[in-house]
Amino acid sequence: MSRTTRAWLVAACVLSPSLFALAAPANAQGIPQNIPRNETLILENPEGTIKNAGWFNIWSINAGSQSNGLQQAALDTLWYIDPESGIDGVWDNSLASEKPKYNADFTEMTVKLRKGIFWSDGVEFSAADVVGTVETQIKNPNMRFSAVLANNVASMDMPDESTVVFKLKKPNSRFHTNFTVRWGAIWIMPKHVFDKVADPLKFDFNKPVSLGAYTLNSFDPDGKWYIWQLRDDWQRTSLGRFGKPGPKYLAYVDPGPPDKRVIAQLNHELDVIHDIAPEGMFTLAKQSKTTTAWFKGFPFGHPDPTLPALVFNTQNENFKNKDVRWALALLIDIKAVAMAAYRGAATISAIAVPPTGKHPEAYHQPMESWLKDFEVDTGKQKFKPYDPTVGKQIADMLRPSLGEQIPQDPKDIAKAFGQGWWKTNPQAAQELLEKAGYKKVGGQWQTPDGKPFTIRVMVEGDLRPVMTRAGSMIAQQWKQAGIDAKIDVAQGTLLTRRGAGDFDTFIGWSVETWGGHQDLSYFMDSWHSQFVAEAGKPQPLRNWQRWSSPELDKIIEQTRTIDFDDPKAIELGKDYVKLAAREMPIIPLMAYNVFTAMDQTYWTGYPTAENPYANPVTNWGNSRYMFVKLKPTGK
Amino acid sequence: MSGYLAYLAKRLGQFVLVVFIGVNIAYVVTHATPIDPVEQSISAVTSFGNTAPEAIEQMRQSLKELYGVGGSWREQYFTFWSRILRADFGPSMSAFPTPVSALIGRALPWTVGLLVVSTLVTWALGNLLGGLAGYYQRSRSFKLMGVVAMGLHPIPYYIVALMLLIVFGFLWPVLPITGGSAMNLPQGWTLAFIGSVLKHSILPALSLILIGVGSWFLGMRSLVSNIVTEDYVQFAELGGVNRRRILGSYVMRNALGPQVTGLAMSLGGIFNGAIITEKVFGYPGVGTLLVDAVYAGDYGLVLGVTTISILGVSAGVLAIDLLYPLFDPRVQVA
Repeated sequence: MSRTTRAWLVAACVLSPSLFALAAPANAQGIPQNIPRNETLILENPEGTIKNAGWFNIWSINAGSQSNGLQQAALDTLWYIDPESGIDGVWDNSLASEKPKYNADFTEMTVKLRKGIFWSDGVEFSAADVVGTVETQIKNPNMRFSAVLANNVASMDMPDESTVVFKLKKPNSRFHTNFTVRWGAIWIMPKHVFDKVADPLKFDFNKPVSLGAYTLNSFDPDGKWYIWQLRDDWQRTSLGRFGKPGPKYLAYVDPGPPDKRVIAQLNHELDVIHDIAPEGMFTLAKQSKTTTAWFKGFPFGHPDPTLPALVFNTQNENFKNKDVRWALALLIDIKAVAMAAYRGAATISAIAVPPTGKHPEAYHQPMESWLKDFEVDTGKQKFKPYDPTVGKQIADMLRPSLGEQIPQDPKDIAKAFGQGWWKTNPQAAQELLEKAGYKKVGGQWQTPDGKPFTIRVMVEGDLRPVMTRAGSMIAQQWKQAGIDAKIDVAQGTLLTRRGAGDFDTFIGWSVETWGGHQDLSYFMDSWHSQFVAEAGKPQPLRNWQRWSSPELDKIIEQTRTIDFDDPKAIELGKDYVKLAAREMPIIPLMAYNVFTAMDQTYWTGYPTAENPYANPVTNWGNSRYMFVKLKPTGK
Repeated sequence: MSGYLAYLAKRLGQFVLVVFIGVNIAYVVTHATPIDPVEQSISAVTSFGNTAPEAIEQMRQSLKELYGVGGSWREQYFTFWSRILRADFGPSMSAFPTPVSALIGRALPWTVGLLVVSTLVTWALGNLLGGLAGYYQRSRSFKLMGVVAMGLHPIPYYIVALMLLIVFGFLWPVLPITGGSAMNLPQGWTLAFIGSVLKHSILPALSLILIGVGSWFLGMRSLVSNIVTEDYVQFAELGGVNRRRILGSYVMRNALGPQVTGLAMSLGGIFNGAIITEKVFGYPGVGTLLVDAVYAGDYGLVLGVTTISILGVSAGVLAIDLLYPLFDPRVQVA
């Protein structure tokens, strides 16, 4: 090799690391420039990278981001229900000054509005904005809430600047829930802005005019981050009642895949992770002294008011018989499923209500004695399938490896891991299948018409690993019992196939509730048989199991006639729980535990199980209450 | 010259045919997807909300109308081609009403910037070192490089990417691990922004170079190893021709032909984006756009990206075919 060639090679070797000279010191890599870090709360936007980043018109269908801070920090609506205890009770009159008032037959809803609330451009919020929100969407039928508003609202009155009267087309005792935030709701539109727009559907609303306490500071045109800044007049927003929000800036970012979220939090560049895999949470708990989560120790995650379950397609011949559905439930070992899905960090539920928020108090605990006495008749024996100790058994299984992280108090165990579940009982399952006409030939089950009993368990794959692991474990358990069960990885097609009824069973949810409020109509109303589509036709949410039950219809119809807060709703809810336990249209598994990891390097006062004033999960509209409770650490 | 013009016309005709067939295949494949964009949008809109079931059907009809998926397949096909000829891919269904061309236009510069630079650097580095290693076969340094290249080459890309991420993002956190530029830094032709873009591209580019350089290195070394045994090289050496001249003019130049073809193919392929790179490093680009569009059933956007990719690859091959006769006299066009 010539000297010149060798010299070039040496130069290349020496110069290449100099690229790293461009690098700045640690802790300055993934944080916003030009604003103080100690005044900024950095949160994950789980929507990831936003394709059309400059779109803020949340009222057009499926355009732009919602949880980039827009619905949490900039928008507002009439009421909020917290999935936990709430900052000042579960119910919050936000833009409304009091609860909705219905007339006797629920055909009219009167709303009194809060005074002294202003949009970020200085225009005062008034009844005209509420009327404008409804009328604009009814006039433009392709907008996001056009259909629901056009179906319900006959006309609106505005007796004064702070009163709105909705005249409804038909009785609807739950109409107000359209304007009540659980995760989101119908957000109020600035009339003075949209009145000047020719086509509201094609208006980007950039820069958005805020009604919330924050206004847009800047955003990445490539959709990776959004920064919101506290309004100088934050007192003139509905959040102002609770004091000054701690962070001056909120940065909603796309931090990338789970491993990068963990790295970012370990580097103190991501204060709140929306969700990570259980393993990521365990790593943070081990390696970061400043990370906290909903539960101080195991199982860490926040149980969302959502109930992952094994959902049957009850229009499929094999699953029409409740004995078959029950047999399949009795072949499941929930402890193994909890270990597979969440590495044990799951909050189980035997009944079809999420074990979170107010529900354990309203349903799980009062129904424990009913569950203990509940019997299944296999035709050969009657037996009591409920085992109240399963939650404790999971805690005992985990204690040898996790020691003090596992609570000892039975109440704490029930809160963290759930109460009981159905006993695994292969003998009873066999009897139930035989009762339904199924036969076991050569160790394999056959359907009554002599075909192999085949079940495909549809899962989302790596898009939702926790649910996929649960589905894989259940398929394995059924296979061991002689059923030809296989995992059916749907990936991105799951939503389309779920709606079309193109599945045998799937792991997902058709039960979602308010969490903080006992009323179950949030999901239950959509389970009425009037909405069940014919086989092969698209099913509207949420009755993905396509289950029709005259008994359930009666419960729903009774619920529709009573007030949202009527205590009778709990009794009707219990009737639903009993019916769902007898019929087993879905096999309830556990709460959807969200591993929201919160870094206390710059901020303290995050919501936890000990101080459950809000849901910490970053994409929920309710997470705005966190902002007023956060205090800077002084770092 | 008339022979070359005939060759040019023939190759242009082939180019048009290839693009036409490729775009049609892409059209058929995207329309055969089981993902329904309307159902995906309805699920996205309603899955967190309290939408009454009776409103869903109305929403479904509205979306069909908005997305233009209601007509017959013939109407849709002709609408598609009329739009393509006007370089208009219509609105994106998953980011309605933003035009597909606007989404691609925003993502493409990132992809092109990252991949053109890393592809060229990889190609130049791999071929230079491979050529030297093939010529100076007794050099211990080049033997070591060969071992390193062979060692790196078979490692799955994502392993190398994750290793870089852990080393430079966590163990020695000196480089950004996500995004194309720093947060809250206005985009523009400023030194701060350009510096930030360069800094953010180091890890993605390095990962692509580390993995890509091996195949060029090995290919070039093998080509040069054969060429050095050719009679004309032997005669040149026996004739006392300067070794650098032999390496540059006799060996490398002759070995570069197939490598240049490979480079053109690689450059054409950059329009597919580097999906794993974009995902791992959170780098903006068309790869992520394409994956998201597939999941959302947004076939307007999928077709937009694939059409540009088909054009890119075909144009790359066409360019090489047209240039070859000009720099390699052995290629006859007449």
